[in-house]
Amino acid sequence: MSSLVVDVLAGAVGGGTAIMYAGLGETISERAGVINLGTEGSMLGGALAAYAATATSGSPWVGVLAGMGAGAALAGVHAVLVVARKANQFASGLTVMFFALGLTSLFGAAYVGRQIHALNPWKVPGLSAIPWVGPILFDHDPLTYISFAVAPMVWWLLYKSRVGLLIRTAGEHSEVLLVHGYSTNTVRYVSVIAGGGLCGLGGAQLSIAYSNAWFENMTVGRGFIAVALVIFATWNPLRVMAGSYLFGAALALSPALQARGYGINQFALDAIPFVVTILVLAVLGKRTLLAAPDELRRVFETRAA
Amino acid sequence: MAEPRAAGGPQIVAQFKPEDATGGGGAVATATLAPEVPVAPGTPGASAVPAAPAVESRLTGIGRGVARWAAALAGAIAIFTVLLLLKGANPASVYSNVWTSTFTNQPSIEQIFVKAAPLLLGALAVVVPARAGLVNVGGEGQIVIGAVAAGGIGISLGDRLGGGLVMILMVVASMAAGAAWAGLAAVLRLTVGINEAVSTLLMNYIALDLLLYLIYSPWKDPHGTGQPTTAPLADTAKLPYLGTTAVHVGIVFALIATAVVWLLLRYTTWGFRLRVIGGNPEAARRAGLPVALLLLSAMLVGGALAGLGGMVHYAGVEYKLRTGITTNFGYIAFLASWLARHNPVSVVLAALALAAITVAGDSLQLDSALPAATVNILMGLVLIAVLGWTTRKKSGGKAR
Repeated sequence: MSSLVVDVLAGAVGGGTAIMYAGLGETISERAGVINLGTEGSMLGGALAAYAATATSGSPWVGVLAGMGAGAALAGVHAVLVVARKANQFASGLTVMFFALGLTSLFGAAYVGRQIHALNPWKVPGLSAIPWVGPILFDHDPLTYISFAVAPMVWWLLYKSRVGLLIRTAGEHSEVLLVHGYSTNTVRYVSVIAGGGLCGLGGAQLSIAYSNAWFENMTVGRGFIAVALVIFATWNPLRVMAGSYLFGAALALSPALQARGYGINQFALDAIPFVVTILVLAVLGKRTLLAAPDELRRVFETRAA
Repeated sequence: MAEPRAAGGPQIVAQFKPEDATGGGGAVATATLAPEVPVAPGTPGASAVPAAPAVESRLTGIGRGVARWAAALAGAIAIFTVLLLLKGANPASVYSNVWTSTFTNQPSIEQIFVKAAPLLLGALAVVVPARAGLVNVGGEGQIVIGAVAAGGIGISLGDRLGGGLVMILMVVASMAAGAAWAGLAAVLRLTVGINEAVSTLLMNYIALDLLLYLIYSPWKDPHGTGQPTTAPLADTAKLPYLGTTAVHVGIVFALIATAVVWLLLRYTTWGFRLRVIGGNPEAARRAGLPVALLLLSAMLVGGALAGLGGMVHYAGVEYKLRTGITTNFGYIAFLASWLARHNPVSVVLAALALAAITVAGDSLQLDSALPAATVNILMGLVLIAVLGWTTRKKSGGKAR
């Protein structure tokens, strides 16, 4: 029994990391007032770029950079469409998602089944020997360890730094930025593209650290889960971190049960994160809405053309 | 939205709007319309005054629209060509193969109409709520749940009742299921304030997991081999083909639905009220309109249409519920509706165009040994071009 709990929780941390990176990226973007459904596409682009760059260069760290670049580039398309061209944010995000799905299918076919020098799990000496905590937190790939630091960093960036103040102002009262001589558009561009970079990093974690494989559409909805997660976490990076492990645990539960011979239908469990998100939104209700950045709320309330 | 241009004042926005909306022959000509046209939307009486110039500019508007579409398509194909070259494929042979096997042989052309049926119904599911200002991203889930409902009828009653009766039951069940799925999102919005774009998106995954759950255990065909599916639909309950073609009647359902939606939105009080809410919900509320009820009804109708889309795909093409039965139809339909700017008539063209692109994917796979999903690049590029060039039309107005 205890090994089951450890397995699920360790799986939650390892498998939730990709969702966390994407969720943190989406948080930055949404804090600036832009919702990006292209998260799924940025993750896919990041996953393939990281895998391909790792396969070509032999260094997974080159892959990590490539993944972040690809994610940022795809988010850049979304940024141009919604910031400069004022396109509908939902339509634009889905468009980028399809674009990325096509691109990664076309250029990814050559990398299916190819072996790479991946980012292997690395046990932290000493810490990994602690019962329970060790295997859950300290037996993972390097990108997972980095994520332990990235979530607090994003929180610090958003709430304690000047840049974060600009980002949040772009999402709350963009007219104030204008009065102080800043360009809302520039802030949004930077936020959306930086957020896309984090989504790409999440994709990279998935392909070169967690699964060590590339296949078509390998993110299977994780990007959309990340979008849900950000709302679930009421736009707070630290809650995004906690929520990503919760969602990761739901995803890790059924393989862990099946491995022990329980005849469980994993799809009933797969629905849990989505049901929970809706329930949480329903319970928080108006409070969630109040926590949303003002300008983002305006996006939600945009009358469709 | 306080970028410098909007801060210049509402009148600047107001002048941009009519220019884009009418797509007139030039900035000078349309500028003269500016004082009159902003009054027109929503107030039928006022539109009578500038009627003559409006007709004229509408014609040039169509011309400009066609030109814009052609340019968007050309740009998308140019970039796609570069990507094919990067991949090492020969674009000339890829295009000629796509052309030959998608548009010059009858089975492929029939396939376009077959694929267009659920796409069109799914797009209408976006059009109707959009009229009231709702964003329904849940077409995918509503299509899936419609297919599940039809499948439930199909495997439980398919070989016990007459085919016609089963078909009617499938239509009713799928529309009810789709309506319930979308209606739940509307209720969540109206009672606890969850935005419908978020809830419909989340419910897509719940619907998909429900489908997978059913086909992996309770509804699994015990005689099936390989990938789990449900038992096949009885032959009598399969949707009939049109004449000697391989096109099932689903496309007729979809076209009838389009006509009905168009009539409802254009000529009924209900349609008019939805538009009022879409324009200004606060004003609608103050005018005493039952806003909650109207929003709910828009989502119910939309969901029912998407559910029907799931049914025609199941009973007309698949005959079994299986993994990946919808292949993103709901999302493609969402984009089709945006391509058509939520106009129930042009949405037919958008659905056919995107269906053609989807069918072209099969050619890429079979003739050129490229992954079928590659066509998503082309679809994405066309949409990027269209969104990038044309969406200032209305969304640049009051909403931002």
